[in-house]
Amino acid sequence: MTPSLEATFRAEWPRAVGILTRVLGDLSLAEDAVQDAFATALERWPRDGVPRSPGAWIVATARNGAIDRIRREKTFARKAELLARLEDVPADEHADLSSIPDERLALLFTCCHPALAVEARIALTLREVAGLQTPEIARAFLVTEPALAQRLVRAKRRLRETGIPFRVPPDHLLPDRVPDVLRVLYLVFNEGYAATAGESLVRRDLCAEAIRLAKLLCVLMPDEPEAFGLLALLLLQDARREARVGDDGELVLLGDQDRRLWDGASIDEGLRVLRRAESLRRPGPYQLQAAIAAGHAEGAAPHVIAATYAALEQIDPSPIVRLNRAVAVALAGDVEEGLALIEGIEGLDGYSYLPAARADLLRRLERHSEAAASYREALALTDNAPERRFLERRLRDVGG
Amino acid sequence: MKYALLVYSDQSDWDGISVEEAAERRAESMPRWITLFEEMGKADPDAGGRELVAAAEAKVVRVVDGETIITDGPFAETKEQIGGLFLTTLPDLDEAIRIASLVPAAEYGSMEVRPIVER
Repeated sequence: MTPSLEATFRAEWPRAVGILTRVLGDLSLAEDAVQDAFATALERWPRDGVPRSPGAWIVATARNGAIDRIRREKTFARKAELLARLEDVPADEHADLSSIPDERLALLFTCCHPALAVEARIALTLREVAGLQTPEIARAFLVTEPALAQRLVRAKRRLRETGIPFRVPPDHLLPDRVPDVLRVLYLVFNEGYAATAGESLVRRDLCAEAIRLAKLLCVLMPDEPEAFGLLALLLLQDARREARVGDDGELVLLGDQDRRLWDGASIDEGLRVLRRAESLRRPGPYQLQAAIAAGHAEGAAPHVIAATYAALEQIDPSPIVRLNRAVAVALAGDVEEGLALIEGIEGLDGYSYLPAARADLLRRLERHSEAAASYREALALTDNAPERRFLERRLRDVGG
Repeated sequence: MKYALLVYSDQSDWDGISVEEAAERRAESMPRWITLFEEMGKADPDAGGRELVAAAEAKVVRVVDGETIITDGPFAETKEQIGGLFLTTLPDLDEAIRIASLVPAAEYGSMEVRPIVER
């Protein structure tokens, strides 16, 4: 498949699957119909040329395929009803798709429903909304293709059997459900962000997919500030991707990163998107995280970043946020206070960054033997090679 | 979709308390039961529910090699036991979860939402 054809497929897939799911009331049936239409497209488009409106062509072809398929079906309880509903879908290959309701947001919320396991939400979202193929998703998540296919089949069965609704949740459920969607997109990004240079490109491409999905969410929910907050955060983090790891695979801390390696266009876009989010005047955790990332990108004063962390802790008092705030407070000059904040954190047992951060603050306070003990504690908790080399170097610095 | 909403609670909480205390507890949760029945009635006028006699009174029946073996309940030695169930037809899982969360036992015990297989 040529890259442009692949891009068209990915863009048109969720629209077609959404429309067909609305009509058929079942994601699996819809996916089969759209998959058949894409197979036909793959045969015909290279020969006859890409149709003027590829989306309408796919929908019309999927509709006709679904009608044939359901007619052939001998035992199908709702046969007549489904056929009647399919008749309402435009059969015109040049139809204006904007006259049909856009079901992509319903598709996204359904794929991210909290009754599904988190892994299932991620796989479904990448398959149905991002339009990735099963082998691509399997490679990105380092699982076998049959395992991932099985995960998707189970998820779709659960959608059907438990009655998970295909819809954008009503207003009273939205405050609970929007964070579920944002979290899935964030997890997709993090999978890609954790991938190292040596790993397959499809794995690193997850960052680009997450950004594409976050952009789609912003288009579909233009009044949701957290959607823009997430997009800004992803863009700002992605901009620093190349600077995170040194030539020898070494982890490079933010303060030591070569800013020339930061992607300026991506930072500018992230800052623009963040301003858009803030203009809606409803702060949230993703906007605050983006504001912190923006602060780093723009070289904000350390006390400004510490203050933003304090605001984030107000909404999200999780131990990770508290640890980050403690470090920010220390970087802003109050090392003793940062250390006291770290000592007050509970619930991060086994997390190497906590003793590593404590060790670093102790080192700054020149309490070397305590620092050495904390570096050793951190080393006992991590297997990550670049991280271990970093900690070992610091341990030697404090004479441990 | 048809759903069974199974009510679980720790039935030993009711052991050895006086009749008066039991009546008081029931009276306390009454407003919540009334809200539940109103909401469930609106969502599904045909919804039905039944309370079960304490799990300790149950008989467990198994047929092993053709021989019927009867033992005293409860069926499983878990802290929470099924104390009742509702059968209801609701539009989707979100609504089933909302109704289940209105059952007083959701606070002091737990509710299990089980879709019923339809063929």
